[in-house]
Amino acid sequence: MSQEVMQEDLLRQALDAIRSWIRAEKTPQPNRVDVVIDREDLLTVVETLRRIQWGYLSAITGLDHPVTEPAEGESAQEGHVEVLYHFCEKDKVLTLRVSVPYSDAVLPSICGILPSATLFERELSEMFGVRIEGTPDTSRLLLPDNWPEGVYPLRKAFTGFPEAKEGSDE
Amino acid sequence: MSEKFVIPIGPQHPALKEPSHFEIFVDGEEVINATLRLGYVHRGIEKGAEQRTWTQNLYLMERICGICSHVHALAFAQGVEALAGVQAPPRARAIRQLVAELERLHSHLLWLGVAAHEAGFDALFMYSWRDRETVMDLLELLSGNRVNYSANLLGGVKFDVTPDQKVRILDGVSFLEERVQYYLNVVNSDETFLGRTRGVGVLSREEAERLGAVGPTARASGVPRDVRVDVPYAAYTEFPVRMVLSQQGDLQARFVVRLEELFESIRVIREILNNLPESELTARMPRRIPAGEVISRVEAPRGELFYFIVSNGSDKPERVKVRTPSLANWGTVLATAPGHKLADIPMLVAGIDPCFSCNDRTVVVKTVR
Repeated sequence: MSQEVMQEDLLRQALDAIRSWIRAEKTPQPNRVDVVIDREDLLTVVETLRRIQWGYLSAITGLDHPVTEPAEGESAQEGHVEVLYHFCEKDKVLTLRVSVPYSDAVLPSICGILPSATLFERELSEMFGVRIEGTPDTSRLLLPDNWPEGVYPLRKAFTGFPEAKEGSDE
Repeated sequence: MSEKFVIPIGPQHPALKEPSHFEIFVDGEEVINATLRLGYVHRGIEKGAEQRTWTQNLYLMERICGICSHVHALAFAQGVEALAGVQAPPRARAIRQLVAELERLHSHLLWLGVAAHEAGFDALFMYSWRDRETVMDLLELLSGNRVNYSANLLGGVKFDVTPDQKVRILDGVSFLEERVQYYLNVVNSDETFLGRTRGVGVLSREEAERLGAVGPTARASGVPRDVRVDVPYAAYTEFPVRMVLSQQGDLQARFVVRLEELFESIRVIREILNNLPESELTARMPRRIPAGEVISRVEAPRGELFYFIVSNGSDKPERVKVRTPSLANWGTVLATAPGHKLADIPMLVAGIDPCFSCNDRTVVVKTVR
C-alpha cells in the first residue's frame, strides 16, 4: 500500500462508494466530509462502508432541532432530531447525517452490520427519544430506573423537573 | 440456556472501584453471556454544558474524569480554538503535550495497580501506586494540583515550566523509566501472574476492528489506531510518538502495550523539556465563538476521545457531545466474556481500563437558583 496516496484519497474513496445515496454534502473542516442521507438508505450506506472496510464507527451524535417560532405567514415546522454517525479512518472523518421528525422518530438499528453500535444507539434513544428499530437491547443504559417514560433529557425542551425547581436539591 | 444462572454484580460491590452493574449469565463456572448497565455516576454534563459559557465549560469538561482530566479539557479547548480560528502558541502546545504525557504516566501506573489487584497480586498494586506518587508530585509541582491540573485556557496554557521544574521532572521520569522496565519484566515473567493474563480475553484483530475498539485495547490486538499518530494535535507533529503495537490480543498484550507506551511517553517528555519552543503562552480568544460545528479528537490514556462541538455564535455552546474511550471499548468486554470462567471477569473488565465517570455524563440537571 502506498500510504501517502491512500491518505489523500481516503475520503474520495468513501464518497465514491456511497455517491448515489448522498442528498447533500459539505466539508466543515479540512479532514471531514458530512453527507446528508435519507433514513431509508442508512443501512445500505453503512453496509457499503463496511464492505469496502472504510473506517470504524467512532460515535453517534444526536442534535435536537426544536420547532422554531414561524415567521409571519409561514406555517410552523415540525421539530426534528438529527442523528450523526461519525466514521473515522486515520485522520479523516466521514459523518452520515439523518433527520427524523418528532412524530416519527424511528431509525433502523445498524447493530446487524456493526455490533459495536449497541451502546451508542441505546444512549441516543434514551437521551433524544429516537426509537431504534431492531437494536438488540433496549433496557435502560444510562438514565435512572425511576426516570419517567417519554422524557428525553437532551432535547432542548427539557429544562429540568418542576418539583426540583422549587428549591430542593433533589 | 434454560439452566442458566444469573449473577448480578454491582452497582455497589467490593470488587468494583466505581459503580456499574453487570449481569453475568453462567453455566456452572463458565460465562455464557454478559450485560451491562451504566449511568450510576451520570451528572448531566452534556446538558449542563449548554447552559454555561465557553470558559465555564472548560472547567466543567475537565471534571468529566478525575484520571484523564487534562485530555478532556484539551479536546474541548482545541475544538473551541478551531471554531474560533485561533491557534495556541507553540510553547503552549508543547506544554499541553507535556502534561498529557505525564497524565498518561500516572493513568497507566494507576491502571497497572488496579489490574494487578484484580489478579490478586497486591504487592504489584502497592508498588506501582507508590511509584505513581512520583508523577503525581510532578504534576502538583507544575500546576499546584494532583488531579484536575487545569493546565488549559481557551487559547493556550496557564503555567510555564521553570528551569528548576525541568530538572525535577527529568529526575522523576528517569526513576519511573527504571520502575516501568521492572514492571514490564514482572508482567512478562511472573508465572502466577501470567496464568491470569496469557491467552485470557483474546481479541483478534478482526474482532477489535469490528467492535470499534480504541486505544491500548485496540493496539494490543494489532489495530494501528492512535490519534497522536493519525491526527497529530498539540505539539505531536514537532514531538512525534511511536505507536506501540502487539499482535497477541490477550490480557498480557494489554499490559505490555500500556507499559511500553510509557517508555515513549518518557522519551517524548524529555524531548519536549529539552526543546521547549519560546513563545507566548496564550493567544487571544473571542468571548463569542463563531457559529459552526467541529470534531475534536485526542488520544486519552484509554484511547480515542471524541468531542463534537456545535456553536450557534453566542457565548454558550449549542451542543457538546463527548464520546469517551471506555464507552467504545465496552463492546470488547461483552464480546470476549462468553467462554471464560467467572473468575476471569474482573480481569477482563480491568483489561480495557474502564472509566465509569467518563462513560456516564449526561442528564439530571441541578436547579440553578
